[in-house]
Amino acid sequence: MGVFLFYLGIYAWKFKSMTMQTPKLSLRNVSKSFQSKGHEINVLDKLSFDVYDQDFVSIIGPSGCGKTTIFNIIAGLLKPDEGEIYMDGEVATGLRGKVGYMLQKDLLLPWRTVLQNVVLGLELRGTPLKECKDVAMEYIYTYGLAGFEHAYPKALSGGMKQRVALIRTLIYDPQVILLDEPFSALDYQTRLYLEGVLVEAVETFNKTVILVTHDIDEAVALSKRVVVLGARPASVKSVHEINIGQRTPIEARSDPNFSGYFHALCAELEIQTKVGS
Amino acid sequence: MEEAMGNTALCSAKRNGARSRSKLRLAIKGSMITAMVQLGIVGGVLAVWQWGVQAGIISNFLVGSPAGIFVKMWQAMLDGSLWMDTQTTLVEAIVGFLIGSLVGSVVGLSLWYSPIFARIVEPFIVAINSVPKIAFAPMVILWFGTGMISKIMLAVSLTAIVALIAAYEAAKNADHDLQALLLALGGTKHQIFFKVVVPSTLPAMISTFRINIGFGLVGAVVGEFISSSHGLGHMIFNASSLYDLNSVWVGLFALMFVGFVLYYVVDSIERYLLPWRQVEANQRLRV
Repeated sequence: MGVFLFYLGIYAWKFKSMTMQTPKLSLRNVSKSFQSKGHEINVLDKLSFDVYDQDFVSIIGPSGCGKTTIFNIIAGLLKPDEGEIYMDGEVATGLRGKVGYMLQKDLLLPWRTVLQNVVLGLELRGTPLKECKDVAMEYIYTYGLAGFEHAYPKALSGGMKQRVALIRTLIYDPQVILLDEPFSALDYQTRLYLEGVLVEAVETFNKTVILVTHDIDEAVALSKRVVVLGARPASVKSVHEINIGQRTPIEARSDPNFSGYFHALCAELEIQTKVGS
Repeated sequence: MEEAMGNTALCSAKRNGARSRSKLRLAIKGSMITAMVQLGIVGGVLAVWQWGVQAGIISNFLVGSPAGIFVKMWQAMLDGSLWMDTQTTLVEAIVGFLIGSLVGSVVGLSLWYSPIFARIVEPFIVAINSVPKIAFAPMVILWFGTGMISKIMLAVSLTAIVALIAAYEAAKNADHDLQALLLALGGTKHQIFFKVVVPSTLPAMISTFRINIGFGLVGAVVGEFISSSHGLGHMIFNASSLYDLNSVWVGLFALMFVGFVLYYVVDSIERYLLPWRQVEANQRLRV
C-alpha cells in the first residue's frame, strides 16, 4: 500500500511538472525610470509576464508607454532598476547574444552586401564566412533574394531589406526573437506578405517570439497571446489568449473570432471609437 | 519551355547590353564635349593674355606672358630642374599628408573608445585647431632644420589636426542603432568599433583626405618659402625675388598639376574603398 502511494506520489509530481511548463523567459517586477530635466520619469512599474517556449507573444499598449524600453531591457541593452529576468528558470544576467533583434529600421550595414549582412550575427560569434556561406545562400534563396546576395542594401526595396533583416535574425538561431514594430514602415501588401513569411519561419524553426507593436490588428493576427500594458508607468493590464486556428495572418483576419479579439483589445486600450464625447 | 525562357533571358540580357552600351556611348560623347569646352576656355584665356601682352595692355614685367612661361618651362624641363623641384615638393607633401592623416585619423577614432578622455582633450584640440598652423612654420624649421624633414613636419602639423577632428566627429556620429544591434547580438566593443564605427567614418574621412592633400602641399611650399634649397616653393620664391614672373608661373602650374593628380588619386581610392556609395550615386535623381 505504502509503495503504491509512493508511486502515485511520483506520478502526480511528474504530471504536475509536465503541465507546469517553465517559462522560456519571464520578467518579474521589472521597474525602470529615466532622469529627465532633473526629475525622474517612471517608465516601467513592477512589470511581470511570462513567455513560453515556442510562444508568440505580442506586447501592445498606448503610445509612449515604454514598449521600446521593455524591448531594450529584454535585449540586454538597458539594465532594469529593479526586478529580474529569468531565462529557462534561471536569473539571466545578460541576454546579449541570446536574442535576435529586429526593428522598424532594417539596420543593415550599408557597406556590406546582402550576404555579408546576413552572416553578421554568426561572424560576431566567430564563425568564419566559409563555414556559414552555404547556409546563408540557402536562406537567401528560400526567401526570394537569389541573385541579390552581392547587392548593397541601397539597391533593395523596403520589403527586401526587411527580409534580409529577418534572415539575419533567423540564421543567428537566437533563443528568443525580439521584434519592435518590424513591418510598420512598409506598405500594407508587403506587410501582409512579410507577416506570413515570419509566421511560417517561426513555425518551421520552432522559435519563441516577442513582438512589440502598436497595431492591434497585427497583434491578433500573429500571436498566441497578447500582453496589454497600461499607460505610463507601464504595468501589465491583462493577458489575452488568442485562439485562432488559421495558420496564415491573412486567413486569421477572416477568422470568426478575429473581430471579437480585436474589439476586446480596443476596449482594453480604451480607444475612443466616437469622435468627441 | 525552360529553353525558351533561357532564350528570352538571353535576349533581354543582349538588349540590356546594347542599351547600356549606347548609354555608355552617350556618356563618352558628353564628357568629350565637356573636355573640349574646358580646353577651349584654357586656350582662350592664354590667347587673350598673350595678345594683351603684345598689345601692351598687360605688363610683361609684372604678369609675364604665356609664350615666356612656355620658354621657361621648356628650359626647366630640359635641364631637369623642374622635375627635381616637383619631385621634392611632391615627396614632402605626400609623406606629410600620409603621416598626418594616418596619425590624426587613428587618434581621432581612438577617442571613440573613451568618451571621458575625449571630453577632457576636446578643448585642447579646439585650441590647437584655432591657431593658424602655418604660424608654427618658423619654429618647425628651427627644430627640424632646413631639409625635407621640416617640410614634412609642417605638412603633418597641418593635416593631422584636420584628420583628427573629422575622424572624431564621424566616429561620434556613427549610427547608434547599428551599434545597439551589434551589442544585442553579443558583439564586443572591439567588434562594434571595427565593424560599425570605422566603416561608417570612411566617407567623411576620405572627404577630409581630399582637403588634406591641399594642406600637405601648403605645408611643403610654405616650408620651402622660409628656408630651402629645392622644391617648387623654393623655385617660386627665388624667381619672384628676381622678378622672373614667367618662372613663378611655371612653378604655380606645376603645383596645380600635382594637386590635380593627387585629387584624382584620392577620388579613385574612394571608388575602390566605398563601392556601396556608387550605388547611391547611380540612383540619385538628376535635377
